[in-house]
Amino acid sequence: MKQLFVALMMLIVFGSCTKDFESTNQNPNQISDLMLKQDFNLVGSPFSGMLYELHGNQGSQTQEDLCYDSWMGYMNTPTDFVGNVNNTTYYIRWNGYWGRQYNNVMSPSRQVIRLAQENNLPLFATWAKLIRILSMSRLTAIHGPIIYSNYGSTAATINYDKESDLYNTFFSQLDSIQTEFGANKTYAGFAKFDPTYKGSIPSWMKVVNSLRLRLAIRVSKISPALAKTQGEKALSDAAGLIESNADNFNISLLGNIMPVGMICYQWDDTRMGGPIESFMVGLKDERIGKYFAPVTDPKLYADHPAYPYKGIRNGAFNAAKADKVPYSKVSPDFNTVQTRRHFTASEVLFLKAEAGLRGWTGAGDPKTNYENGVRLSFADWGAGGADAYLLDKTSKPIDYVDPKDARNNFKTRSTITVAWNAADSKELMLEKILTQKYLAGFTNTLEAWVDFRRTGYPKIPTVAKNDSSPDWGIIPANEWIKRMPFIPGERTGNAAGVADAVSKMGTGAKDDIATRLWWDTGNPLNF
Amino acid sequence: MKKSLLTACLVFFASAIALAQTRQLTGKVTGPDNQGVASTTVKVKGGNSATTTGSDGSFTLTVPAGNIILQFSSVGFSAKEVAVSASQSSVNVTLATQSSDLNEVVVTALGIKREKKMLTYASQQVSGDEIRRAASPNFMEAISGKAAGIDIRVSGSGAGGSTKAVLRGAKSLLGTSEALYVIDGIPMVNNKGGQPGSYGGTDGGDGLSALNPADIESVNVLRGANASILYGSQGANGVILITTKKGKSGKVSVDVNSSTVLEQVSNLPDFQFEYGTASGGDYSWSKTKGAYQKTYIDEFFQTGVNATNSVSVSGGSDKTTAYFSYSNSNAKGVLPTNTYNKNTITLNQSTKFFNDKVTLSSNVIFSAEKSFNRPGAGYYNNPLTGLYLFARERDFAAYKANYQVFNDVRNMNRMNWYSTEEKQNNPYWEINNNSKLATNSRVIANMKLSYDIAKDLKFEIRGNMDYNNVLYDNRYAAGGNSVSVSPNGSWSYTKYNDKSLYADGILTYNKNIGDFSLTGLAGASYQKNTFRDGMSVANGTTALQYPNFFSFSNMPYNIIFNQTLNRTLKQGAFANVQVGFKEMIFLDLSARNDWASTLALTGNQSYLYPAMGISAIISQMVNLPNAISFMKVRASRSETGNEVPYNVVNPWNSIGGAGGPTGIGGINRNTQVPFTNLKPEIIKGDEYGLEMKFFGGKLGLDATYYKDVSTNQFLTLSAPSGSGYSIYYVNAGKILNKGFEVTIDAEPLRTNNFRWKTAVNMSRNTNKIEELIASNPNYQVGGDDEGFASIIKAGGSFNDLYIFKFARNASDQIILSATGVPTKAATQVKVGNVNPDFLMGWNNTFTYYDWFLNVLVNGKFGGVAFSKTEAFLDSYGVSKRSADARNAGTIAINAIQGTTPVTSIDPVVYYSAIGDRNKIMEPYVFSRTNVRLGQLSLGYTLKFKKSNIGIKDAAFSLVGRNLFFFFKKAPFDPEQSMSTGNGMQSNDVFSLPATRSFGFNVKLSF
Repeated sequence: MKQLFVALMMLIVFGSCTKDFESTNQNPNQISDLMLKQDFNLVGSPFSGMLYELHGNQGSQTQEDLCYDSWMGYMNTPTDFVGNVNNTTYYIRWNGYWGRQYNNVMSPSRQVIRLAQENNLPLFATWAKLIRILSMSRLTAIHGPIIYSNYGSTAATINYDKESDLYNTFFSQLDSIQTEFGANKTYAGFAKFDPTYKGSIPSWMKVVNSLRLRLAIRVSKISPALAKTQGEKALSDAAGLIESNADNFNISLLGNIMPVGMICYQWDDTRMGGPIESFMVGLKDERIGKYFAPVTDPKLYADHPAYPYKGIRNGAFNAAKADKVPYSKVSPDFNTVQTRRHFTASEVLFLKAEAGLRGWTGAGDPKTNYENGVRLSFADWGAGGADAYLLDKTSKPIDYVDPKDARNNFKTRSTITVAWNAADSKELMLEKILTQKYLAGFTNTLEAWVDFRRTGYPKIPTVAKNDSSPDWGIIPANEWIKRMPFIPGERTGNAAGVADAVSKMGTGAKDDIATRLWWDTGNPLNF
Repeated sequence: MKKSLLTACLVFFASAIALAQTRQLTGKVTGPDNQGVASTTVKVKGGNSATTTGSDGSFTLTVPAGNIILQFSSVGFSAKEVAVSASQSSVNVTLATQSSDLNEVVVTALGIKREKKMLTYASQQVSGDEIRRAASPNFMEAISGKAAGIDIRVSGSGAGGSTKAVLRGAKSLLGTSEALYVIDGIPMVNNKGGQPGSYGGTDGGDGLSALNPADIESVNVLRGANASILYGSQGANGVILITTKKGKSGKVSVDVNSSTVLEQVSNLPDFQFEYGTASGGDYSWSKTKGAYQKTYIDEFFQTGVNATNSVSVSGGSDKTTAYFSYSNSNAKGVLPTNTYNKNTITLNQSTKFFNDKVTLSSNVIFSAEKSFNRPGAGYYNNPLTGLYLFARERDFAAYKANYQVFNDVRNMNRMNWYSTEEKQNNPYWEINNNSKLATNSRVIANMKLSYDIAKDLKFEIRGNMDYNNVLYDNRYAAGGNSVSVSPNGSWSYTKYNDKSLYADGILTYNKNIGDFSLTGLAGASYQKNTFRDGMSVANGTTALQYPNFFSFSNMPYNIIFNQTLNRTLKQGAFANVQVGFKEMIFLDLSARNDWASTLALTGNQSYLYPAMGISAIISQMVNLPNAISFMKVRASRSETGNEVPYNVVNPWNSIGGAGGPTGIGGINRNTQVPFTNLKPEIIKGDEYGLEMKFFGGKLGLDATYYKDVSTNQFLTLSAPSGSGYSIYYVNAGKILNKGFEVTIDAEPLRTNNFRWKTAVNMSRNTNKIEELIASNPNYQVGGDDEGFASIIKAGGSFNDLYIFKFARNASDQIILSATGVPTKAATQVKVGNVNPDFLMGWNNTFTYYDWFLNVLVNGKFGGVAFSKTEAFLDSYGVSKRSADARNAGTIAINAIQGTTPVTSIDPVVYYSAIGDRNKIMEPYVFSRTNVRLGQLSLGYTLKFKKSNIGIKDAAFSLVGRNLFFFFKKAPFDPEQSMSTGNGMQSNDVFSLPATRSFGFNVKLSF
């Protein structure tokens, strides 16, 4: 009897050994790499998510809506977040896009590139590299130096890429991407994983050329020779550019609601911007009804009764949220759209128009490109009246009136009209091009912030309420925010890397919001 | 239902056949007051025959022929041995009570009874009667103040709500620091549901409410980690041992208990009802008085009723005993439409076989709970926000009567409310059209087999299955608030099973060799937990396909149905040896090895930790002054390992979303750094104790000093941006908890008919976060939550409160902006810690003939509490403070504008600048210190000497809880918790106001 119990004890202690531990600690509701190998899902399945994360979801309230959406006057919040002292008024409270790109694009793409090599699917690595450039070319436009060539390093200090080096790296990587795509134009392996182009390599080749042109224009003032070389390469490449709305690079929202729709309709935290009201109402832009929803209270738009819209100034004084909740929402269409614009034909046409002013070979006639850019945008948004709009020589941006708080009123700095005039100076032509590029770029607002810092166009007002302080850098009353600081995690966790990055921004540079990026020369003249 | 179960039970008893073969011994065990002592274990020394006494103290026991020695032991009384001669057929024994008792028997971990003097660590017992006297739906609430060193927070969500019981301070940063509950030696699953945050939510309850308080014989609080030798890491935060009632041999006894407790809101904020808004809108900041409705807030709340009826039947023979109980609770809360219903059934039996060498016992608890519209807290979907912030000049009665209005455009009802704010709803729409259902159906079943292998050697094997089916079904009607509810309504549905299998086998050996006594124990345990095995789905603000139809088929394509699981497998082997010398020195040594599945692949899945302790009974060794009847010192050191969470070593990938209507969802790759060097968390505890009795036990002292050091804390960190990964885990940190616990009990007065017993429980814990991440001194756990930041950071303590204060100059003047508005300091500063410095409970029991009076005073001293509710009431101009300021015309302030000193400020300017959700929160931090009359009960026991109707006695009592405060600074009850999780302690964001309760209790014994 006794032996029996001793045996039982031994069984309990040693019989049930720990071999089940590993499987017990795995979550069967997660999907393993082994399972993903079926149907070749392993390498391709992260792509739709990585593309989506170029903008992201709800987090874009603090990353887009309360940052460049607001700074560029497209949208602004009626809410007095953190006592009305926040990113919109130049006091940095949120700085999350950096983490989104590294965690949700760079980190998974690193695995994808490895898996593509292991599984002998090299074109997926090529595609992932292109998405990395799409991601990192956005991130550098926000912070300046970023971690790119040293990404994945195990060193204690990870150094950042100097911007001038970074653009050279981008351009040379675009070369090899285009070569690899060009040799495999009929490859169909992406089809299942590509919600945008259903795996069409020629379409992605147009993205490569368009991206090259976008980046070339970005550096056109600081490095004209490089810009011209790269721009002309983009303009002459046989694969072509995104030049029709059918070619537009729209990113699937993967069943999620468009962030601006959610922030506006569900949270009541964003409304039309005052500066875009000043432009669209002043220039009688019929896209206004496609972008925004009219308001019901006539008192709100008494300053322009023909246009029942009212926006909120960039960096506005917001005493109480309830004051501005009745202002113009975005169009209710944003609650149901399935895709968002990332690179449109109209942007390419405006890039070509600027390239033409800069004398790049293959750019074509600036007037034609300018007018086609406007027409493509009207068509893309389903608005009518583009022809009349393009002929309008008299309508100009109007002064803005905040019916609830006069401290937010501003006088427009821009006196341009829409109609092209061959007698205009190049500066004025550029202002027209970039104002129209701004109006067409609604919901893809980062590029507008790039253009504004680079050229000073469109002529938006300064913030009404400037809370910039030595904490994050002081923006003078006649100036605008220049960049976003590096994130706290890097400042503490990679302090030497950040110090090195700051030194790469030039003498006297600080990791603050007042330091200019490499391509932001500070020269008001563009030619 | 009730009747048929009772019948079944009686049949069960009838079938228990006594196998009397030798002589029958009857007797009665009484206490010093000549009252029968129930539940006394009566055992033949050196034999196997044993029984327990009935409720009147009587027993019947089959004993061998010849002279024998009977051993009597009972919790609360001193053990006694009585020689019984061969000719005796009855024996009456009087036991000395606990207060004068030097040989108190207590229940220790694993359910083993030991003499308290042998223990090398702190243990304190609260009897089931004391718990029942409080007539609280939550039995843990009734422990508050009655045992030292335990900080109990009860959720403000009413009946069925959760509890947070922390012994000796918080020890784990991301895990729980709450005590382990053990029922009759078997660890109980106590999974907590979700907790509210600033934005809303409802207390999801916990596992404790499944118990029927009437089944509790006693509760023991083991404050240190010593019990973890037997339970592993689960015991690291201390253990609350629950001993349930068992059947007693002898004739069948029946107890019927009925209590009805009424509950009323006692602590509403101070409101104003004379100023409305200046021109519509949400803020009642007009300076013109009006005659407005005043009573709607008081009228909104109702009197809650909590009715509990229970019946228990016990009895048996000397071979088989059984206990059966059934209880039913029905409650309606102070919040209209809130109801709670619970049924529990307990079946317990014990049978002896093979010459009484083998005892087979089993215990089964069934419970079914249903909670409807349990009150929540926070901004969203909370009826109290709209109720409190209501613009005063409006007609509340109309909004109450017409909380919904028909909408022609949608051909359905929509909410009728004047404000479009995200946090405001018509309170009557909220309670009538939005429903929150939570149900639990639980079975805890166990079986125990013990075998007396030889005279000194015993083997015990136990198995337990705990199965709980949990449902949360929250439905929010279409046409409500657009921020929190989709245009077609929102549905959040969660259904899962929690299953826990536990088994252990323990071999015990007892031997006395000369002056030495030896108790040895070795065993192994196995535990497999499969928690949250089920699914959850919520459409959030993505519209359902059709309005107000809450069904899976109505979900839009882009909603993910989540499958949930959390499982662990743990094995342990343990051994414990206690050696005593001459009943004066006891040495306790133990060790445990755990194998945990959560550490698989790390190479650290097996980990060993030891403990040791010594106690010396000085009064046995040296001659002490006569006044000192007993003196014991003790010291112990223990170490506990704690496993890490499930599935963090090497998780796989997840599906990122539904994909567009024409596509498939992408895969989110797992991007954490593989963590293959994870280690268990380690807690090292030292404690030193002194126990003394004076004047033959009329005065007692039990004091403990302890120090716990927690290291290897499991922490999540963001990976460096350039590393290629998104997050990583580390083992780091050092948390120190030290403090003391003192219990003084006394019997200051005792006559033949009158007796006053009093006990004071005191404790103090100081917590220090010595280190978190050495390389990153700014690392912190927790962050700003809408103006309230509860932060854990190196150099501070657990849950330091950080808020924004006024910006002040060097001479402490508040800096006003150019427009005369108070400005906010640039950063949040620490204003205190939410945990109290000092806990005190003072419990008094007076008995006079058959009357008793119990008075419990509870005090918590130090610590801070924060009220977001008050911050909102001020900024919306609906607090009484805001009206008083308007009546006075101005608020005194020590401020400066530019270089001009300012001494008074307009109330509107002042209150618009502070308060609300994210502004200057300095005025809303209060002292947590409070002293209350925690419990008052008055009772009378009627004894029937010769009863025709079969009633033995009847006890009646009146009870009141939380009747009033002797002292309180905060405008709310800081002990009633909005959340019983880690983060939102001592914070009030529109949580249910505190309540007082009073009622009566009737107990009939047959």
